[in-house]
Amino acid sequence: MATRDSLSPFETAPRDRLRYLRQALSRRLPNAGEGIVGYLFLLPALTLFGVFLAFPILYTFYLSFFRFQGVSDETLLWIDTGLFTYELTSIAELQFVGLQNYVTLLSDGLFHQALFNTTFILVVQVPLMVVLALLFAVALDASFVRFKGIFRTVLALPVSANLVAYATVFLLMMQDAGLVNYLLRSVGLPAIPWLTSSFWSRMTIVGAVTWRWTGYNMIILLAGLQNVPQQLYEAAEIDGANRWEKFRYVTVPQLRPVLLFVFVTSTIGTFKLFSEPVIINGGGAPLDSTITIVQYIYQTAFVNFRLGYASALTYVLIAVVSVLSIVQLRIGGANSA
Amino acid sequence: MSGITLDTVRKEFSTGDEQIVAVDDVDLEVRDGEFLVLVGPSGCGKTTTLRCIAGLEDVTSGHVRFGEEDVTGLRARERDVAMVFQNYALYPHMDVRTNLGFGLKLSTQLSSAEIDDQVEDVASMLGIEDLLDQKPKELSGGQQQRVALGRAIIRDPAAFLMDEPLSNLDAKLRAEMRTELQTLQHELDVTTVYVTHDQTEAMTMGDRIAVMNDGRLQQVGTPEAVYRTPVNEFVAKFIGSPSINLFDATVERTGDTAVERTGGDGSVGQTSDGSVSQTSDGSVSQTSDGSVRLDGVGDFDYVLSDPTPVADHESVRVGIRPEDVTLADEGTTVETNVLEPMGNENFLYAQLGDQEMTARIDPSARPAPGDPVTFTVPESAVYLFDPETGEALKTKTDEAAPPGTGDQPTNRVDGVAE
Repeated sequence: MATRDSLSPFETAPRDRLRYLRQALSRRLPNAGEGIVGYLFLLPALTLFGVFLAFPILYTFYLSFFRFQGVSDETLLWIDTGLFTYELTSIAELQFVGLQNYVTLLSDGLFHQALFNTTFILVVQVPLMVVLALLFAVALDASFVRFKGIFRTVLALPVSANLVAYATVFLLMMQDAGLVNYLLRSVGLPAIPWLTSSFWSRMTIVGAVTWRWTGYNMIILLAGLQNVPQQLYEAAEIDGANRWEKFRYVTVPQLRPVLLFVFVTSTIGTFKLFSEPVIINGGGAPLDSTITIVQYIYQTAFVNFRLGYASALTYVLIAVVSVLSIVQLRIGGANSA
Repeated sequence: MSGITLDTVRKEFSTGDEQIVAVDDVDLEVRDGEFLVLVGPSGCGKTTTLRCIAGLEDVTSGHVRFGEEDVTGLRARERDVAMVFQNYALYPHMDVRTNLGFGLKLSTQLSSAEIDDQVEDVASMLGIEDLLDQKPKELSGGQQQRVALGRAIIRDPAAFLMDEPLSNLDAKLRAEMRTELQTLQHELDVTTVYVTHDQTEAMTMGDRIAVMNDGRLQQVGTPEAVYRTPVNEFVAKFIGSPSINLFDATVERTGDTAVERTGGDGSVGQTSDGSVSQTSDGSVSQTSDGSVRLDGVGDFDYVLSDPTPVADHESVRVGIRPEDVTLADEGTTVETNVLEPMGNENFLYAQLGDQEMTARIDPSARPAPGDPVTFTVPESAVYLFDPETGEALKTKTDEAAPPGTGDQPTNRVDGVAE
């Protein structure tokens, strides 16, 4: 068969020959390299994912069927190649207990209390925060509002506050003789036991979390609002809609996917609540009425070193959050435009 | 149902330090039940004018009246108008049924069953009954267009306002919808203001058309009147497709005594037979057999038998519509650049001096590129414009003058701005 070279009546220049060679080479290994190259590029990310996510996730699940006895360096497996020896040691000394951990948590009063506390904070805080964020976003989106940039920055600023610092400020403000009670008294209202009553101590947490995250969610909602085509409002105006009807029939449905995102991420965030109760209420005071699930898991795992039981708690938390998120996605995502 | 009156409506936008006049003191009357097309190039203020009528923009000064009622201060939802937007602006999260019924739901006391009845009626009128349960994004452009139209019709408003409703459709569908819209408007007999930049739409759809440029209303009249007797060069250029050929020409008078300025004020009267009559000054300067020559670009050299329109001018802008050109043995010779055969007619693009001109010629004539072509234009079809102001000096005077314009010696039609 005639090749390009043999057909050519011209003397082939060296650079052309090099090109033909390269072409011939790439013809000979057509797709072999592609898959491997792809995985090579993925390798750094996969490594990080494996070490810091996949392994802990799987190992936690594994741990939840054991009782942790202490650290160990018992050799599980070794390979002696003559040149070097490879040894795999165990991380911990574990005793298999089956589903015992999961059975225990069914009757663990403190876990139930933590679950209740977290749910209570969630039910009050998330709707409150989303409504507030939406109100701020709508207000900032309104054409007549001036100095939008300044308001937006001020409202979003708390998200950059250091967790410990802002929680400490809340702790100071909410003391019996703190700023908030001082203000209440000065207008003739009774002081509120912000840190010493079960109900009000949870409310303090709600307030703190809302303060910090409302601005963040407002920015997300504002971005969503600015994506609503102006002509839909004009069409609604022509159709006879007043302000509320425009909000109800245009803004909310158009914002639905964004609202859903805000709800789901806020729910997950609140379930992971940890720093605020630890700093403001110490160890869940008063009377464990502010202890959150993550705080309880922390105590179980790293104070009491019941790693197996803490792992089981973690998996229950994951299950609860997953179910809630799925429910929210089902409700919010149904017949969305 | 009512007419719409714009009374020196002005709309200014300020962009920081600059004041932009989008609508410059427009006076316009839309008659009851009329289909008025607002046409002009982009940025001429036609959409802003429409939005002022709708109430989506506040006017800076002036008044908008629906019938006798001054609606200037009313919000859009209080004005009883329906609007069709360029991109339809259907509510994406509602199905077609809800989209159609939404206006009735908000602005009337009708029960859901009654609304549903009306939705079905309008849907069957527009042939979209099968689409009622679909979402806008599942519909084609043409279908969305119908839904948008249905949403306007169902309200039974005092006026339809349409903002380039056909511009997002393909050419074939656009032509179809053009006739359909006209038929619908005729049946419903609702005052309609229709904005477009497409002169074909304007010509074919409007009872009257209003030409805008640079925020100012240039001319209002029937399509034929605007085409035949444009008030100025801009209107002549904008209306008609392909557009009119315009070039400069100097006025050369044959013999010193042939043309004399008439009267100190320069006014020239014209009688019905075309001869120049006595002016207030009393001097008769020229008879109808006196003539002037127009010396234009290239080979263009034209003898005007009636010099009245140019009596005051040393130079004029000459306008010749491509469709008025006839090939002849004598006349102006130009060189063919391109011939576009269209089947029923041929468009000839030819070089006249330093500019290209367009002529619509008989399909049997097929000059090749480079071929010389000689043409003439009947004097009755020649347009002349003032080179400085652009104002029309002479427009079409051949037969078939449209009703309502023949009695106007200045060739102006009603409703001229300024």
